[in-house]
Amino acid sequence: MGGTGRDGVGGATGSSKEHDDTALENSAEVQKGDAPTERKIQRLFRNSELTKKIKICNDFGAGGVSVAIGEIAPSLVINLDAVPKKYDGLDGTELAISESQERMAVCVERNEIDYFIAEADKENLECVHVADVTDSGRLIMNWRGMTIVDLSREFLDTNGVQLSATIKVAKADASDPALDKVSLSEHLASLNVASEKGLGERFDGSVGAGTVLWPFGGSQQITPPDAMVAKMPLLEGQTNSCTYMSWGFDPYLSSRSPFHGAVDAITESVCKIVAAGGRLRDIRLTLQEYFPKLGQDPSRWGLPLASLLGAWHAQHSLRLAAIGGKDSMSGSFNELDVPPTLVSFALAPGFASHARSPEFKLAGSTISLVKIERDRDLLPDFEALKTIAEAIHQANAQGDIVSMHHAGSPGIGAGLAKMCFGNLIGADIRTDEDITASATLCFIIEHSDALPPELKALKIGTTVSEPKLTINGESHTLCELQAAWQGTLEPIYPTLPGIPETRMIEVPLFTTCMRDHSSSAITPPRVIIPAFPGTNSEYDSAKAFREAGAQAEILVFRNLTTQHIEESVKQLAEAISQSQILMLPGGFSAGDEPDGSAKFIATVIRNPRVADAVMDLIKNRDGLILGICNGFQALIKTGLVPYGEIRDPDADSPTLVHNDINRHISCYATTRVVSTQSPWMALGQVGDLHAVPLSHGEGKFMASEAMVKQLAVKGQIATQYCDAAGKPSMDPRFNPNGSVAAIEGITSPCGRVLGKMGHSERAGKQVAKNIHGDKLQPVFKAGVGYFS
Amino acid sequence: MNRIFVEKKAGFNAEARHLLHDLHESLGLPQLERLRILQRYDVGGLSDKEFAEASRLILSEPQVDTVSQTLELASNESAFAVEYLPGQFDQRADSAAQCMQILTGMDRPEVYSARVIVLEGELSAEQLQSIKNYVINAVDSHEVAVEEMSQRAAAKPPDDVPTLEGFNSKSPAEIRKELGLAMSAQDVAFCQDYFGKKEGREPTLTEIKVLDTYWSDHCRHTTFLTKIDEVEFEDPDGPVAKAWKSYLETKRQLGRDDKPVTLMDIALIGMRELLASGELDNLEVSEEVNAASIVVPVSIDDGPEQEWLVMFKNETHNHPTEIEPFGGAATCLGGCIRDPLSGRSYVYQAMRVTGAADPLTPFADTLPGKLPQKKICQIAAHGYSSYGNQIGLATGQVAEVYHPGYVAKRLEIGAVVAAAPRSQVYRASPSPGDVILLIGGHRS
Repeated sequence: MGGTGRDGVGGATGSSKEHDDTALENSAEVQKGDAPTERKIQRLFRNSELTKKIKICNDFGAGGVSVAIGEIAPSLVINLDAVPKKYDGLDGTELAISESQERMAVCVERNEIDYFIAEADKENLECVHVADVTDSGRLIMNWRGMTIVDLSREFLDTNGVQLSATIKVAKADASDPALDKVSLSEHLASLNVASEKGLGERFDGSVGAGTVLWPFGGSQQITPPDAMVAKMPLLEGQTNSCTYMSWGFDPYLSSRSPFHGAVDAITESVCKIVAAGGRLRDIRLTLQEYFPKLGQDPSRWGLPLASLLGAWHAQHSLRLAAIGGKDSMSGSFNELDVPPTLVSFALAPGFASHARSPEFKLAGSTISLVKIERDRDLLPDFEALKTIAEAIHQANAQGDIVSMHHAGSPGIGAGLAKMCFGNLIGADIRTDEDITASATLCFIIEHSDALPPELKALKIGTTVSEPKLTINGESHTLCELQAAWQGTLEPIYPTLPGIPETRMIEVPLFTTCMRDHSSSAITPPRVIIPAFPGTNSEYDSAKAFREAGAQAEILVFRNLTTQHIEESVKQLAEAISQSQILMLPGGFSAGDEPDGSAKFIATVIRNPRVADAVMDLIKNRDGLILGICNGFQALIKTGLVPYGEIRDPDADSPTLVHNDINRHISCYATTRVVSTQSPWMALGQVGDLHAVPLSHGEGKFMASEAMVKQLAVKGQIATQYCDAAGKPSMDPRFNPNGSVAAIEGITSPCGRVLGKMGHSERAGKQVAKNIHGDKLQPVFKAGVGYFS
Repeated sequence: MNRIFVEKKAGFNAEARHLLHDLHESLGLPQLERLRILQRYDVGGLSDKEFAEASRLILSEPQVDTVSQTLELASNESAFAVEYLPGQFDQRADSAAQCMQILTGMDRPEVYSARVIVLEGELSAEQLQSIKNYVINAVDSHEVAVEEMSQRAAAKPPDDVPTLEGFNSKSPAEIRKELGLAMSAQDVAFCQDYFGKKEGREPTLTEIKVLDTYWSDHCRHTTFLTKIDEVEFEDPDGPVAKAWKSYLETKRQLGRDDKPVTLMDIALIGMRELLASGELDNLEVSEEVNAASIVVPVSIDDGPEQEWLVMFKNETHNHPTEIEPFGGAATCLGGCIRDPLSGRSYVYQAMRVTGAADPLTPFADTLPGKLPQKKICQIAAHGYSSYGNQIGLATGQVAEVYHPGYVAKRLEIGAVVAAAPRSQVYRASPSPGDVILLIGGHRS
């Protein structure tokens, strides 16, 4: 739990040493992460009263105490005995240099110590005074009454002997190698072009309710945008301000010429931002270098030198600066070396309303190419790039561009195919370009009106409603191309489960609604949202409730000591008794451990004090309970859904288990409203469809057929996964976790308790623009309205 | 100590099915007919009644698990147990202990978790060993006896830190080898000179290890700060040589003639040029180095523009991810988040760019001393995503590039974007009398 331990000794020096084939046995060990603890630090640092008292902050990493604290001030006395450790038996050296994760060192004025300890405690974090700033010019560490380090800062800051090198730079040859002619299908199936959807869908894309371009866009959720775009993270209010971020790197070009590789990495990252709707002149860069061990070999030193000169040339020509970067010089194993690697990350602030996704949106649009030429040295015409990028930005801001994509090294054919896949809109293309060749510095644009002349756009075709991509008369069905594109990495990163659940149990729509309304009006109703270790959706949930008119409060459940637990249980029970709504938010309480989700929350709810308050809320006080994702898991595991009471589960109780695909899924699903019996569903009609983001590992609803029928008869099935036409489905593309009877959400018999997997709170203006459907499910408004 | 074995019922045992499939595919082994995975918990500090309740409500779920107190093996079954190495953070055991503490309201119990793999089929000793080698990554786990209770011996009080007698007079190369140092022999000699002449004493072991950590390439970019004495271009009129000349010219114009030419200087000259010209007008300049930081106007609810800081950062964890893909990739993101977080900004967007050799390479072609590419790719994706998913960070773009060279070592990059109102970030120099506080997880 974030303590210093032996598992991190040598983290910094280990990654800096040369490695051979004994690496697996004797190298520095690797630490495991503890995300719930880091989440607590994030929460603590959102407290602006506290952050305004921090003079300097440094995070712990590979260098451990010696570096994290040692870097803060020139003169320090560190008390190693005060450093919290994972287990006893660590000696002074280990305490000083062990890598430790999930820790921060902050420098504050002495009179703030008690304040910081108290505030950290509120967030379930430990805060200890470990060092004092002096003016001795020395770094001193004391342990068990002895001074074990006493070094002059001057000496430490020399960074050792400055080494010197002589460098030889090889001739750059950036020309494309002659490759065998391949068909478009074969090209789409090649390793570096193939779809990575099965990889991407493991990663939560929706938390924060700020993702503007969903990672896989269009009605088919398949076309990857050129850049990631997210709105600024606000605790309250709405904004159109956002950031765009992209990357660029081609290991093959970098191997042929590190210089051109770096130039193109930067250019590509910049072009992707432009293609997504960002503005070139607002871009700032950060670079990642990764090279083989250089030793004393002048020609090996030539690799990073050429690469950095390429990066310099691109920055100088584009008038864009790299303001951050990281280098790793450890890319060798015996005689093997990594390719000279310089990855460019481009970041631009901008507006969410400008963000464009690449999938074609209309049949009958014009498709044009906008290209920037290269000179004799195969370097981009940077002046043309700057002019064209600005013209594209203006045209896009005026709404002249429907879709846009930077073709990049996969080329024009692959680019067109990916633009077609998203909405199954075809294209008819005539072009002299080699469609499988690399096409960096080439934008593909869908538009209806003429583009500005500065773009020198070249019309190459039109979009068509038939799902076919026709290039110079040769037709390919999108189905065939997509199968090739998605097939290659399916064995590594599957998009579909091996053994999907297929049997459908029909659930009729529940039309005999007899919903009640709160007996007394309370405006605004109070919502209590507990945040457990590992909860991650409390901010989004509180914001959704506040925007719906409620007074929402987050309560951090603390458990560092027995006393904390006692206090937290009492606070939670009291807060529930003073609230009208209990909301259990999403996340991974206790990391979905031990071996199953929501066990931590369920254990808290079973505590007699909390259980009484919960039952009093729904039985006697007309209150409501909502659980989303992890919250739903807690409700079902305690019995609150579907039974409406806390009970021990038996072998036949409904539950939520691992998704059929046996990994985390992050995607949008269409759900239909089956019953409006619950107050939470009051603002909709039976049959309404919504697009809601899913993000979970254990979301497969399990129940016997008899139980499903019983729930259906009582109107307790709130929502089901369905296809775009609204038909409930067992097809994993529409029912991504394989839920029995395609059930997404259920209620208690009285309807006052709703549990659902889909994150209805992760919605907002400009969110997931490239996903179709109604993304505003009025659950929160309905819950608040119950008390009006 | 109490013990329980928990096994997923048929239909819920996807992990066992996947492992069996994986072993068939990677190792052949048609003799291996069936495979079971049981979760073993050893718990100390609970009464029998409390343990029974914890087993029923926390360690197992009756819908999906079967439980037993002992492990019965058929004659054609063999079993081995795998546990994390002492000191490795075990989220399963830790979470179980946290849940039990809430259940009892007493002190946190001692919990050990292990996975027991039961193999059915006529397997030779070599085959059994090959399965163990495949399943156990010695970097973080080890085999433990199936029958014995897990228990950590109470730690001995550690010895005092030794002073390195004779350090100042030994051969630097010998010292480097003896202490397993990453620093060069020249650095060792430099230390000998410092301790001998300036301090007039021998160093402690801690001092040398601290210096080794401080001066490591990882922490201090030793390579990037190496002075470049001489550069020879094979093609003196080519584009690389031209860029070199333009770099030197710009360095001169910026008045940096007296500064040595280093890779770091070339990496930073683009920023310096645009700062000097005024074109880089939104950089937040501070003494503190947390992450790249720019000042951005943000308008909320159509109100007046506020000044915000947008911070972004990229970081690699190549070596750790290569040898222990789950923890390596998870802490890649964890470390990356902490940089802008230490700058007091809220991280809201993540990207992951990785490089691997062909993950479709057959298992048999795995290089000695290496994990298979497929395993590295899949487990690293699991590690990175599990950290991001747990902390609640939207990952907007994930890409993996494939090149045979990455068989030497994987590329694992995390990149994040963070923001905060500028008014929330105060920066000041430390003064004598100030204190350093350490904030983080608790002592356990």
